[in-house]
Amino acid sequence: MAMEHAAILEEEDIVLSELDDGELVEQMHEDLYDGLREEIVEGTCILLERDWGAEKVLNEALVEGMRIVGIDFRDGILFVPEVLLAANAMKGGMEILRPLLSETGVKPIGKMVIGTVKGDIHDIGKNLVGMMLEGAGFEVFDLGINNSVEDYFEALEKHQPDILGMSALLTTTMPYMKVVVDEMVSQGIRDDYIVLVGGAPLNEEFGRAVGADGYCRDAAQAADVAPAMVRTRRLGKIVNA
Amino acid sequence: MIDNPRRRRAAGRKRRAVRTGRAAVRAARKRGIVDEFATWIDRRIPYFEVLDTEALELIEHNADTVLEEIGIEFRDFPRARKLWKEAGADVDGERVRFPRGMCRSLVKATAPSEYWQHARNPRRSTIIGGERTVLVPAYGSPFVTDLDRGRRYATLEDFRNFVKLAYMSPGLHHSGGTICEPVDVPVNKRHFDMIYSHIKYTDKPFMGSVTHPERAKDTLAMAKLLFGEDFVPRKTVLTSLINANSPLTFDGTMLGAATAYAENNQATIISPFLLAGAMSPVTVAGTLTQILAEALAGMAYIQLVRPGAPVVFGSFAAVLSMQSGAPTFGTSEPSLVVYGAGQLARRLGVPFRSGGGLSASKVPDAQAAFEAANTLQSAALAGVNFMLHTAGWLEGGLAMGYEKFILDADQANMIAVLLKGVDLSENAQALDAFREVGPGAHFLGAAHTLKNFETAFYRSNVADNNSFEQWQQDGSLDAAQRANGIWKQMLREYEAPKLDPAIDESLVEYIHRRKSEFEDRDY
Ligand code: B1M
Repeated sequence: MAMEHAAILEEEDIVLSELDDGELVEQMHEDLYDGLREEIVEGTCILLERDWGAEKVLNEALVEGMRIVGIDFRDGILFVPEVLLAANAMKGGMEILRPLLSETGVKPIGKMVIGTVKGDIHDIGKNLVGMMLEGAGFEVFDLGINNSVEDYFEALEKHQPDILGMSALLTTTMPYMKVVVDEMVSQGIRDDYIVLVGGAPLNEEFGRAVGADGYCRDAAQAADVAPAMVRTRRLGKIVNA
Repeated sequence: MIDNPRRRRAAGRKRRAVRTGRAAVRAARKRGIVDEFATWIDRRIPYFEVLDTEALELIEHNADTVLEEIGIEFRDFPRARKLWKEAGADVDGERVRFPRGMCRSLVKATAPSEYWQHARNPRRSTIIGGERTVLVPAYGSPFVTDLDRGRRYATLEDFRNFVKLAYMSPGLHHSGGTICEPVDVPVNKRHFDMIYSHIKYTDKPFMGSVTHPERAKDTLAMAKLLFGEDFVPRKTVLTSLINANSPLTFDGTMLGAATAYAENNQATIISPFLLAGAMSPVTVAGTLTQILAEALAGMAYIQLVRPGAPVVFGSFAAVLSMQSGAPTFGTSEPSLVVYGAGQLARRLGVPFRSGGGLSASKVPDAQAAFEAANTLQSAALAGVNFMLHTAGWLEGGLAMGYEKFILDADQANMIAVLLKGVDLSENAQALDAFREVGPGAHFLGAAHTLKNFETAFYRSNVADNNSFEQWQQDGSLDAAQRANGIWKQMLREYEAPKLDPAIDESLVEYIHRRKSEFEDRDY
């Protein structure tokens, strides 16, 4: 599908810089849909050159484009490999915007550290979650498989994410999530992070039992829930302050 | 065939003159036509094969290319890399690359083409390999589900229930392994209770724990208590499941367990476990290439650990939905894979594991039934020797279904009939029947029919073939509801096979001691 589309674009020979702002943003939505990383990078730069603020580019061009991708993924029109390409294109745009956003003091959409827990090597689901969150504009630090408490803590320290995400696919490894959360509590850092958990043998109740803030049944739900939780938490912090 | 009192007494007499009595007939009829003590199915039909010699050679060549050029990672297990180095492979960090043909020659030189797996009841001992099929319950589900209570985490009680149901299912020749995960027992101690259940509540052969090398060692210790200290290293009493961490990787946990079993001459199933699209290429040929490469490397490693230790060429291949990333089952591409993988295993001369009643359905519905029927049939036709996941599997292995178990066990019985092929004995040729009945009459009262009717046709215990009115009168039950009644009745009627009290005591004592040696841990 992406290929077909690319072919059509080539025929029409669209020059991004010749489009007006409205057309360009629409074209970027199309290019995200088609997973065209270079074009997204180019479009992002053009908008910035035209004095768009980074936040406006982020929201109107990228986030909105990925919202459409998300809908078509949910509806079974876009397939996983295509969403992977779209997320990668999004990541390309984000890499340009991220430094600008932090310069201007705009809070990023969110940062997440994610990894499969100790003793567990299942990672397909975790990878999908990471991909979807990147698509949603998150900066994702993937710790891979088989992560101990120490691995998670080191990454939290280093990346200071909003969310700690843990994945487990085995009933023999999922209780380890509680080990991590308990350790966070005892080190007094539990409330510094949102803890999200997932994996096929988990359920809502288990998520609560290990002391997580949320359980996600699949990657699409994680991409919905995570930004919302980050926003709510930031609001809460302001209110509490 | 079954020990039918009526048939025995009828021998040499005219049937109509026999007195058998209601009770005996009722008991015999209930049992159906499957031999209660069948320990495998003897295959008498040809294999269903989809690859010609040229195609097979191509796949084998490509697998060798993968082994030579890309290689396999043996992670977190230095001993494997050491053995490979000594054997002449190219070891680069955790990556091992194999000269063309090396793995194949190692396997062909010493891996047995078939092996006995002994059961505590010698009548239940079985042979894995050759022209035989052994049917084994499903494995590994964290959840169980039934019509009354719905889906929930599995407990030790569920585990025992399934061991009992498998014991009472004549079409299942093996008790399996982690039939479901007893989530109510601490992670680091549940293997004791699972192995004990396989010893206590059944006398069929079973599988060992693989989730930690120590747990494999505990399994071995318990097997030694059961079979005798000198019996175990000499004979094979365990067949255990070692999954490759595909693509092209074996991890330390699995290698540790596999090594412990192999050193003690116990069998391991080396299973590339592929969800095509994620863990292997999206094509049948690419997937077969990877299966062969991984299985060869794993089985050859076992032969380095202990030449002659039994190994099974495993394959679990399903496809990942490109739309959602979810595993799917019962479609046609994995059937092509299982047919091809069977051929590759036979060319290597080792037993083959695959198949089962696989499904992604959550409940025992039409999807569960058609997906499982597809996968069971393909596996049977493909020539699977050790058919894991034959009964109970739902939700891609996330849930073990009580009703699904009963439905699948019925299918398993039918597989036995199919694989036995066409009887061409004089009796089966039935010329006497034609002579007796002639044109225009019916066969129902013919002597040939009377002699054969009881065992002539497979009788399903779950299918309903009655009239609409009769079905309605019986409560308008669907297959799952009928299966619900069946498993409950089986559990009510279950009687444990006798176990020598001295052995039982020694096992209980061992478990007690080991459990007290370390803290409960949930990881
Ligand atoms: C942070 O926030 C979040 C939010 C959402 C999150 C999240 C985190 N993480 C996941 N999600 C959610 O979003 C994802 C995308 O939508 C979803 O992720 P999922 O991972 O659920 O979904 C994926 C997209 C597709 N699904 C999968 O990838 C998992 C599929 C099944 C079939 C599976 C696979 C593929 C594998 N396995 Co394994 N495996 C099974 C699985 C059964 C099943 N149906 O789930 C299961 C989990 N495995 C099992 C077993 C037993 C094992 N496995 C093992 C190995 C493997 C493979 C390596 C072969 C392979 C994994 C390859 C890989 N690179 O990941 C072994 C363990 C190895 C180890 N040390 O971990 C081994 C022990 C088998 C053996 N004897 O060798 C069973 C679990 C038993 C238990 N104790 O609980 C099992 C249920 C299958 C079974 N019936 O045997 C959601 O859960």
